[in-house]
Amino acid sequence: MQVTYIQAINQAMHEEMARDENVLLLGEDVGVLGGAFKATEGLHAKFGSERVVDTPIAESLIVGAGVGLAIQGMRPILEMQFIDFISCGFDQIVNMAATLRYRHGGQASCPIVVRGPCGAGVHGGIYHSQNPEAWFFHVPGLKVVAPATAYDAKGLLKSAIRDDDPVIYLEHKFLYRRIKEDIPDTEYLVPLGKAALRKEGRDLSVITYGSPVHAVMKAAKDMAGEIDIEVIDLRTILPLDWKTIRASVAKTGKVLIVHEARRTGGIGGEVAARIAEELFESLDGPIVRVASKDTHNAFATSLEDYILPNQEKITEAIRKLAAY
Amino acid sequence: MRVDVVMPQLGESVVEGVVAKWLVKAGDAVSKDQSLVEISTDKVDAEIPSPVAGVVVEIVAKEGETVPIHAVIARIETEKEAAKPAEAPPPKAPWDEETEGFPGAMARRTEPPLPSPPRVEPSKAPPEPSPAEGPKVRISPVVARMAAEHGIDLSGIPGTGIDGRVTKKDVEDFLARRGAPATPSPVEKAPPAAAPPTPRPAEPEEDQVIPFTPIRKRIAEHMVMSKRTSPHVHTFAEVDLHKVAAIRAKAKETGVSMTYLPFVVWASVKALREYPYLNASVAGESTVLKKAIHMGIAVETDRGLIVPVIRDADRKSIGELSKAVEDFSARAKARRILPDDLAGGTFTVTNPGPKGNLFGTPIINQPQAGILRMGQVVKRAVVVDAGGEDAIVVRPMMYLCLGYDHRIVDGVTANEFLFRVREILEAGVFSL
Repeated sequence: MQVTYIQAINQAMHEEMARDENVLLLGEDVGVLGGAFKATEGLHAKFGSERVVDTPIAESLIVGAGVGLAIQGMRPILEMQFIDFISCGFDQIVNMAATLRYRHGGQASCPIVVRGPCGAGVHGGIYHSQNPEAWFFHVPGLKVVAPATAYDAKGLLKSAIRDDDPVIYLEHKFLYRRIKEDIPDTEYLVPLGKAALRKEGRDLSVITYGSPVHAVMKAAKDMAGEIDIEVIDLRTILPLDWKTIRASVAKTGKVLIVHEARRTGGIGGEVAARIAEELFESLDGPIVRVASKDTHNAFATSLEDYILPNQEKITEAIRKLAAY
Repeated sequence: MRVDVVMPQLGESVVEGVVAKWLVKAGDAVSKDQSLVEISTDKVDAEIPSPVAGVVVEIVAKEGETVPIHAVIARIETEKEAAKPAEAPPPKAPWDEETEGFPGAMARRTEPPLPSPPRVEPSKAPPEPSPAEGPKVRISPVVARMAAEHGIDLSGIPGTGIDGRVTKKDVEDFLARRGAPATPSPVEKAPPAAAPPTPRPAEPEEDQVIPFTPIRKRIAEHMVMSKRTSPHVHTFAEVDLHKVAAIRAKAKETGVSMTYLPFVVWASVKALREYPYLNASVAGESTVLKKAIHMGIAVETDRGLIVPVIRDADRKSIGELSKAVEDFSARAKARRILPDDLAGGTFTVTNPGPKGNLFGTPIINQPQAGILRMGQVVKRAVVVDAGGEDAIVVRPMMYLCLGYDHRIVDGVTANEFLFRVREILEAGVFSL
């Protein structure tokens, strides 16, 4: 069936809540309104106020209550209305949820999913445009996923809900209604921790995730006669699929990392460092990153254009690296 | 003037809207902000106000029609001539389902070009890089590994990367071609015995394009740079080598084989001590008289010309010089000359060998100030002084050519230096 990215997310929650009565949903405006973006539409009507809870505007409460529910055996989905506000729930995620297994010697776990719209490109300004994966990449005990397609959005959310550990699920708001795909009518899951090889190539590997996957694929298609590009969509950022990354780098010898999150401290740095460490003798050129400039997201279109990665910047970087 | 009314973006992720109900029709007069139409999206329903006061001249979108954001839905004629468009968002292409979900509406302008990737220096860079060597050679980790694994000499592979870098692909292509000759030769070599008596080179079928190898590129750039840098003047001397020849013959009897080269080097070195301006460099607007004498010996290899350096050549005997030259020749053949061998020369002697012709005008090896070229040794009838009378004898004669940098070496110095070299050689007294 044809669905948009946000419809795929909606379907995943409908299916998992129908499948397992322990799955709950908490968030601001998720119930009666169906969500600021309509991601949770229809869930309140179907499952009622006991399972779909409109919370006060307090992310620390949302996540904290979620951790408590998880300890009691529930599987709460915790929506951050804009992922930017996850910073208000940071302590509950990093110090409570991520450490639960460690603190209980493996006897208890925290099966929460913290999901919300991330990303820029919609004139959202500072508070409605961030990509926070780097903050959580650094925390053992968490998993972080960032789907780029409707297929992965549904499959990864279902897997995240079924996962026994806390998962940060980053849905890119730019993709919400801009991609429509055919997905299977029957049930399917996408495993966490496994990247997708979107395109095979010989000359150069592009490692990316989230919204930029589409610009990268377009660039690869446009340059098909010129440079043979291999595209890896990480899908899961923590844990990274090093098996796929290693195989690709060994084959091509040239790596470009693209993420919409800022360059400094972005996860691209870790990927680059580890490739340089473990695959040094496979490299035929420097490891290059294309990322947002180290500044806060802007409201004005011209500034957004300047700050964010785009197809032209990606193409330029690929050409330079391929020519090295 | 005519003003377009467009479908607004009613939410951050909204890309289209449905025209639910028109509240005005063509011909109606409207005031600014008057509601024109009801629009419905999957998030909100809203009324769209008129951007200007005027008359509705055209309803473009029909009721029930789904329209992408920023598309024109109506047109209003306003009396105002002012160039103040109410919203006038830049015209954007409607979302195209053919593109992989990435709408043309979000096409972005380019930013200034990214800085070039950092240069990778080779791990065996000489401690004092000599300007005579030209641009650095880039060897990436994978190329270094493949060269080591397959025993390849990278200087023999044409490079397609930046600045002629040998890339991973270049090595892979080279390995695939290995077995076939590395440099295709348009000339057939003379076939042995059972062949036509006068072998002629086969004519090539078309022009042969041979990309520069890194070593050829270095040579080409250096030659141009040297000529551009130093005003070259050449002076010639004719040297009677019969005494040197005698020493050589004697050494041969004891099994020691020496060419004329170490003798010329030894003589040059002695003369350089007396004429230090030939053992010098130009630094800005100063002449630097070098303390040490490091003698470059030009060696021709199958890949091109290289100039390994005998350090402190003035402290070596003829025998030691000869050994050093032999060692360089052998190592050059085996392609085992190291970057350290090529660095720091202060003067160069070049010996083209038995097919070197009479004389030539060599190009200075920058940043040196002089270069000495030997010629063929030819037995000639020459006039000598025999007990106060002229006599004709047969002597092995060689032309020496000194090329010098006329910025810092004037004719007198150059001539006297060359004269001295000749004097020493003809005197025939060496420390063997």
